Amino acid sequence: MERALSSEARPGTERINGGIADDFETLVGEHRPRIFRFLLASLRDKQSAENLTQECFVRAYQARAQFRGASSIGTWLMQIAANLARSHEGSGRLKFWRRALRSDVTLADAGDSIPDGQMSPEQMAAAKQQVEKIWKVAARLSMKQRTVFLLRFVEDMDLLEIAAVTGMKEGTVKTHLFRALQSVRAAIEDKK
Amino acid sequence: MTHLNSQQISEVLMGVREPAIARHTRECTQCAGEIERLEAPLAWFRSSVRNWSEQMDKQLDYEVGATRFETAPVLLLTPETLDQPWYRSILQAIRDAIHPPDQPPLEVTSKPVEVPSVWGFFGGHEKTAGMTSVMLHVAVIALILFLGSLKPVQKMIATVIPLAAPDLTPYKPEANKDGGGGGAKQPLDASKGKLPEIAKKQFTPPRVDTAQSKLPITPTIVSDVPIPNIDAANYGDTLSRLGVPSNGTGLGGGIGTGSGGGIGSGHGVGVGPGSDSGFGSGSYKIGGGVSQPLLISKVEPEYSEEARKAKWQGTVEMQIVVDEHGMPREMRVTRSLGLGLDQKALEAVAKWRFKPGMKDGKPVPVIATVQVNFRLL
Repeated sequence: MERALSSEARPGTERINGGIADDFETLVGEHRPRIFRFLLASLRDKQSAENLTQECFVRAYQARAQFRGASSIGTWLMQIAANLARSHEGSGRLKFWRRALRSDVTLADAGDSIPDGQMSPEQMAAAKQQVEKIWKVAARLSMKQRTVFLLRFVEDMDLLEIAAVTGMKEGTVKTHLFRALQSVRAAIEDKK
Repeated sequence: MTHLNSQQISEVLMGVREPAIARHTRECTQCAGEIERLEAPLAWFRSSVRNWSEQMDKQLDYEVGATRFETAPVLLLTPETLDQPWYRSILQAIRDAIHPPDQPPLEVTSKPVEVPSVWGFFGGHEKTAGMTSVMLHVAVIALILFLGSLKPVQKMIATVIPLAAPDLTPYKPEANKDGGGGGAKQPLDASKGKLPEIAKKQFTPPRVDTAQSKLPITPTIVSDVPIPNIDAANYGDTLSRLGVPSNGTGLGGGIGTGSGGGIGSGHGVGVGPGSDSGFGSGSYKIGGGVSQPLLISKVEPEYSEEARKAKWQGTVEMQIVVDEHGMPREMRVTRSLGLGLDQKALEAVAKWRFKPGMKDGKPVPVIATVQVNFRLL
């Protein structure tokens, strides 16, 4: 499965405390794609995702002394990113602009990005349709559900990690994730 | 063995690890197929998001170019000195206001340099520029004067079509034209009756006996002002006596002793002793802004044969109206002398000429009293 492939997306988890200040550049290099990916998927706005990725690392740098190593650096950074995404989504002032700018990332764009593998054109089209459906459902989910859903199925985190990132209890995470999954399943199974 | 229910499948997808379910998934191909079927779209979704994100990231790298992201957050950090809390800066400001910190004496390290004046942009050509300006003005004025002196231009200017409002006075009803009169050459004086309706124009003069009117049009008189009327069955002169219906001794239609289509002793289509239209005598009395008419030429009256034989002397007093042309009219003897002298006096006064009385700078008809003396030498 693809999940095995994606394990390389979480480097630096073994590095705890210590080296964070001296090796910030490598840290950014390692974690940036994940943070950017998560923010892009959750906001679906390239500009905002870039800004918030930057902001995320600025905050991490400023707060590096407060990092106690209670979790992995990846989780910690993701925690910051999730908070940023939430406050960004919550600021109504930006909503208008976000809505206006969102047009530059269409669902079709995302649907085009399926790896072709050895799929026939029909399978390809079906897969594309399903991905678009999931995108649409994800866009309609609440912020919490979407965050949990993306962390689980894009970033491939387990429930405990998600709980650490979002600051919710594991049970709460489970509930949100279950509801999100129900919506997504309903969309997938809709036309089968 | 029961298959997994929907919630359990979701839990598998969510990554909840439970030994019993995990074992069932391994053993039951049906449930495994079901999970696989749901996992596939999610896997596509994951990889599509990742691919998309990478594409976006590559674009970003391309856009940002040489300034790679790694150093950026460090550069963006604010220096710690600027990061002091607000109350500290306020306290610092208050402290500075009370005890201003000693500043070192100002050292002037530069010296003034002369620069070209910024006012004016003639660049040393003030004189020529001024002269050119004066000459241009003179040339333009001379050109205008020259053009004005040309014959065709003057001719063109002479033929001016005035665009002023047209003079409407000939079409306006004239003021001071009051009264009217009429009659049908009947032996009796006009009888009493009501006045006809007032209109802008007269088509049919009023008659006492409407049955004899030739046109079935309501008779009218012309006036700008309302005229006091009476209630009567017939048309007639409101000031006359009741009697046998008569149109009067005048002429030209209408009722009364005058002429024209009106009613009364005057002439015209109005009512009263005046002329033209309207109501009244149309004459002013001397005083109150009306100057008296002045005698210009005088004809001495002749003595009548009888009066000479009788050596009759005395004064004939008459009231006349001097109209706006200085002519006496509506002459009426108020003190008679008899023996044909009244007649001689009227004949003489009819030849008299006056400078008309004036009101507001305009000549108006004025009532005047004239005495004619008859003396035998």
